[in-house]
Amino acid sequence: MPRVAMSEGDLAQTSSGVAGEGRASPAEGEIAVDCRKLVKRFAGGSVVALDGVSLTIRANEFFTLLGPSGCGKTTLLRLIAGFETQDEGSILVHGQSLDGLPPFRRPVNTVFQSYAVFPHMSVEENIAFGLQMQRRSRAHIASRVKEMLALVRLEGLEKRKPAQLSGGQQQRVALARALATEPRVLLLDEPLSALDQKLRAGMQLELKRLQNEVGITFIFVTHDQHEALTMSDRIAVMNAGKILQLGTPAEIYERPTARFVADFIGDTNLIEARRVGPARFRILSGVEIEADEAGPVGDEVILAVRPERTVLAAPGQGPLAGTIEQIVYEGTDTTYHVRLAPGVRFRVCEQNRGGGSPRFRQGEAVSLALPANAVRVLVE
Amino acid sequence: MSNARQRAGLLAPSMAVIGVLLVLPLGLMAFVSTLERGPDGGVIWSRHTLDAYLQFLFERDLLDNLVLNTDYLQIFARSIGLAATTAVLTLAIAFPIALWMAFQPPHRRTLLLFVVTVPFWTNLLVRNYAWILLLRNGGVIDRLLQATGLTHEPLNVLYSPLATGIGLVYSFLPFMILPIYVSLEKLDRRLIEAAFDLGADRWHALIRIILPLSMPGIVGGLILVFVPCLGAFVTPALLGGGKSLMIGSLIQLQFGQSRNWPFGAALAFVLLALILCALLFHALRYRRLAGRLV
Amino acid sequence: MTRAGDLWRFPGTRAAAFAVLAYLYLPIVVLVVLSFNASDSSLARWEGFSTHWYAVAAADGNMVHSIEISLTVACVATLVGTIVATLAALATSRTRFRGQIAVEALIGLPLVVPDIVAAIAILLFFVMVGIQLGLLSLVLAHTVFTIPIAYLPIRARLAGLDPALAEAAADLYANPWQSLRRIILPLIWPGILSGAMLAFIGSLGDVVVSYFISGPGSTTLPVYVFSMVRMGVTPTVNAVSTLLIAASASLLTLSYLLGRRFN
Repeated sequence: MPRVAMSEGDLAQTSSGVAGEGRASPAEGEIAVDCRKLVKRFAGGSVVALDGVSLTIRANEFFTLLGPSGCGKTTLLRLIAGFETQDEGSILVHGQSLDGLPPFRRPVNTVFQSYAVFPHMSVEENIAFGLQMQRRSRAHIASRVKEMLALVRLEGLEKRKPAQLSGGQQQRVALARALATEPRVLLLDEPLSALDQKLRAGMQLELKRLQNEVGITFIFVTHDQHEALTMSDRIAVMNAGKILQLGTPAEIYERPTARFVADFIGDTNLIEARRVGPARFRILSGVEIEADEAGPVGDEVILAVRPERTVLAAPGQGPLAGTIEQIVYEGTDTTYHVRLAPGVRFRVCEQNRGGGSPRFRQGEAVSLALPANAVRVLVE
Repeated sequence: MSNARQRAGLLAPSMAVIGVLLVLPLGLMAFVSTLERGPDGGVIWSRHTLDAYLQFLFERDLLDNLVLNTDYLQIFARSIGLAATTAVLTLAIAFPIALWMAFQPPHRRTLLLFVVTVPFWTNLLVRNYAWILLLRNGGVIDRLLQATGLTHEPLNVLYSPLATGIGLVYSFLPFMILPIYVSLEKLDRRLIEAAFDLGADRWHALIRIILPLSMPGIVGGLILVFVPCLGAFVTPALLGGGKSLMIGSLIQLQFGQSRNWPFGAALAFVLLALILCALLFHALRYRRLAGRLV
Repeated sequence: MTRAGDLWRFPGTRAAAFAVLAYLYLPIVVLVVLSFNASDSSLARWEGFSTHWYAVAAADGNMVHSIEISLTVACVATLVGTIVATLAALATSRTRFRGQIAVEALIGLPLVVPDIVAAIAILLFFVMVGIQLGLLSLVLAHTVFTIPIAYLPIRARLAGLDPALAEAAADLYANPWQSLRRIILPLIWPGILSGAMLAFIGSLGDVVVSYFISGPGSTTLPVYVFSMVRMGVTPTVNAVSTLLIAASASLLTLSYLLGRRFN
């Protein structure tokens, strides 16, 4: 009997990355955002951006929508924010339906990809804007602005105009502005994509800290899988308007349930095979591979193994024979590109514990072994 | 350096034509304003005087003393008043339509731009003449109003400042719509979305975000309408009956009946100085949009 | 508000827009309609369709002469102005150079200066230099403002060209003249044509400059009509005006369609 994905309770235990430390497990608590069968079409119906998408996001979760451009993740975000109206389906935030509500009446705020900081207002005027729209008292606005400036560490810059700020600082203004009105959900549309690598890494930690401190639900959109893995409590991998898999970063990475997910997240070796036993498969060359799981129902399968789990050994020691085609030195690891058969290449990634010199040379004959617990069985 | 040479060669004809046929004459005009008026019109090229400028404010009495003369000041005041009213009215009419146009789907926008500018390209006379037809007693509007019982006497609108105003607003509307439209169309939509997101309804988004950010276009439009309005003389002549004198009509007179070229030149020079200052102000104030009027 | 699209619809602006468009076109429509009025069309009493007034206009020798003058001036000024404008646009569309803002300001100057100021400045210039007011003076004066009018569409079209095209041509051994003739001109000719048409309309329609620069025996059509209207409303003016409108409108539509077709 094929082993299915683990239950919700198990998921809660396998939290990883920065998300895990000392926080209430996301399995408890209410549902923050409930999307039901959302359909969105563009261009008179010829483009289907979202094809019946349903998902539930829990309160105080750092939830990421991950996928390539055009997969529908930004469309989904905009539907929640209210800038587009769905053709079918409904959205509820903390039990309250958002249908028919314009953006200015939704308890949801957005941080835009281009920050969209008002250029003609100073930093503090930007932050105060939402509070002014809510008609809060002057005193409340002043104290709240001060709080936000401290939260995003922009004290001293409140009188500056956006043109006088760096990209990273503008982004913090956008954050502070969106958080000032105490929304129940914060939407972030690829906020880090315009930053350079160093700054980006810093901001990732910063965002996690913020979310911890403020304690509200974050819905984060990105196409960068590394970012998603590092920051999220749970990830929804999307492609072509559908959610392919939803789970914690560890699950998504270690146990992809679709070829696209395996391919999109990190590097994966993929090879076609035919089932010859409950958990036994034969590849084209006749070699039989054993796996830890039976996988989904079907005889034509694709086996997926991560490069860092593939074992590289001298010829004859492993079941798969091949030759080294290329060796790529990457500082922390070395990747060997091994040719198993015409058109079939596997990558093996090994950490450079020994300090740099590769174990084999280009052109050498080698063999590969695939440990059973590293083999994922997928159907297309 | 052949690139720079090539460029100089390409630019030479246009620079020469505009330099010789406009810049030089403008300088000449300023120069003429400092000359003495000739006995039969024309000027005496060798005699310099500031009479032309003094003529704004003063006249000479029988004993050749300078006495304050407010005639010209009144004309100026009236012209400025009419031009300012025209500019403000045009703004009030142009902004809603520019706003509507800017948020139409792209293919419709180019069509609308075309539709809005066509009347501008019709001849100035044709435009004024059409309004004469509409506004005169016995004309289309008069007969329509009387036929529907809204009025019982002839309108008597033609040949009045009101008619001049209607004609001026009509002529200058495209000049106001275009810069405002361009300014609005260039607005980053995300900024408006951000305002909505933060709780602003459409009214507040308009007042707090759209309006301030389209100021360059609005001010550009005001300049494009106000100054040429000051120099208008065809419309005041045809629709205003030449009764209330404007700066433009005044200038035209100096080269016609009054034969006072230096004074005409002085008036024109003041007008020119006004618009150059306004444009300089606009360019400096909205510097990041270097050179363009929006 | 039920749909997100409503966010971008500001209440009242649609009605205002249509009202303004009506305001813009009403006078023109009335004028054209009345030009076919069999009776004295200025009195707005419809008495049957007739092209009588067009015939009267055609028979007016002075009117026909002024049309000739207008067309001649427009053709020459447009030809010269468009060529000059094309050269200038080619110069300014390359890499940025020192003084670019000054050059572009100078090119735009004729459009920015109020027409009455430009008119008398040019008049004084002709007087001083001794140029007789006539066909030549008109052509010279009109050329000044056909240049910026033609310049704008040409410049816009050049700006839309991929700069790599000129480089590719040079890479393939084309000298600048060949590159211009075989690559650039064929790609920008819609802009040139558009600029020429706008300049032509601008010249045909000019009133103020022509008023001051026209000499005895060489008045342009608008100036002639101006004097007619000043003397009183005559029905032939309707006919002539309609012809002017038709000419401008057709050229404008052509220019617009060209723009659509080649963009």
